[in-house]
Amino acid sequence: MSGLRVFYTSIFLFLLFMIQEVVIARVNFPFNGFSLYLAVLMIVLALEDRTGSLVFGFIGGLIMDLSTSIDTPFGQWALVLTIIGYLFSVNRETVGDFTESPFTFVLFVSAAVSLSLVTFLIIGVMLGQNNGGLLHNTGLIFINSLWTFLITPIFLPLIIRIRKLMLDNRERV
Amino acid sequence: MARGGGNRSRLLLVLLLVSSLFLITLDLRGVNLAGSIRSGVATAFSPLESIASKIFSPIGNFTSDLKNFNQSKKKIEQLTKEVDLLKSTQILDEDTVGQLSQLRNVLDLAGRGGYKVVAAKVINRGSSATFKQTITIDAGKNSGVGINMTVISDSGLVGVVKSVTSNSAIVLLMSDPTFKIGVRIAGTQSIGVVSGQGGSTYLLQLLDATGEIKKGDVLVARGSQDGKPFVPGVPVGTVTTVQSNASSITQNADVVGISNLERIGVVAVVTSPPKNDPRDSLIPRPRPTETIFVTPTPTPSPTK
Repeated sequence: MSGLRVFYTSIFLFLLFMIQEVVIARVNFPFNGFSLYLAVLMIVLALEDRTGSLVFGFIGGLIMDLSTSIDTPFGQWALVLTIIGYLFSVNRETVGDFTESPFTFVLFVSAAVSLSLVTFLIIGVMLGQNNGGLLHNTGLIFINSLWTFLITPIFLPLIIRIRKLMLDNRERV
Repeated sequence: MARGGGNRSRLLLVLLLVSSLFLITLDLRGVNLAGSIRSGVATAFSPLESIASKIFSPIGNFTSDLKNFNQSKKKIEQLTKEVDLLKSTQILDEDTVGQLSQLRNVLDLAGRGGYKVVAAKVINRGSSATFKQTITIDAGKNSGVGINMTVISDSGLVGVVKSVTSNSAIVLLMSDPTFKIGVRIAGTQSIGVVSGQGGSTYLLQLLDATGEIKKGDVLVARGSQDGKPFVPGVPVGTVTTVQSNASSITQNADVVGISNLERIGVVAVVTSPPKNDPRDSLIPRPRPTETIFVTPTPTPSPTK
């Protein structure tokens, strides 16, 4: 994995984070919102190699920690997404099975988004945060993954294409 | 070779986990790393959010319009008449008129309560992945806004300022599940606590065992010491259902919020509490029905 790719991918993730914070967050989705940033990050993690999943999980988490609307400790999302990146990297073969068909890929991304939100909540509880009731949060996570499942097919081909552009010649081969 | 790669991955994992835990520890130990970084990001995003607010506000409101379709239907008819009127005069566009009306009403409410306020526009909403219900407003330290100040809309309570940058502030909405406010039932001395539940309804727990809650009771903020985080007298909500449970020590009720948090465009931050508690003077009173009596005058019969 080249340093240049890390740089390009980080810039790409930051731009997406900006779109999420400035545009997507403004849309009043019924019941709960949709996190474009998390969905795209899960796609990127699924397409990366073992090291890439870990590194971009951590970088993606650090960027997410910049969100001005959260009051969780800086580094919590980095920890959560590093763990998710690790899960991607150790289950690389299984993830590969999912990415072969667009439908299963979208299903997988939705599940991964839910898993990262659940992990965030669990770590939050371990750090003594009060993020609301279990039923309420279960509903939020369910609706969030439902939106992810419905909206991800719209931008999935674009993200795959952009990611290919970020690979250098040697990596493309 | 594979083992070497595996070891490298493991080392990288440990390194990244330790870095994350180090950052969390720094933050929890009080090193204001997150505050300054997030404040920088908020300052940088603030102009973009203002622009996005102007461009994307119709898209942002689209889904909430769908959600409130039934309620919207009646409003549409009423608004159509108003829009026609505005179009004919061709003076102001409807968005500006709506915001002006909200601003006028919020300043009117603040004036009646004796609150010193700073008006602000809502420029963003909190990300859904944060489990916090927040909005971003375009007034910050430079306008006199500080942490733990009450935020009101044209009809009542919106939330409380959670963090401030030079030109913007994050407001924790009263619908957030962690939000709690001490309230008093208007017209009585019964006090209770209203908690957010993540939606447009809230839970009231009456602390007064002898007190009584009725459907339609209006709740007002009791107020905190020095008016922070809550100034007294701000309307909070109306009781919709009383939960009757003989075994519970406290009486509970479902409450609907006074402010429609999904459609707020203009708010006011209370920078200074009133000298005297406004008590129940800010509660919206129902408009008296105007009865028009028409006495038919006898038409003179045509004389031939």
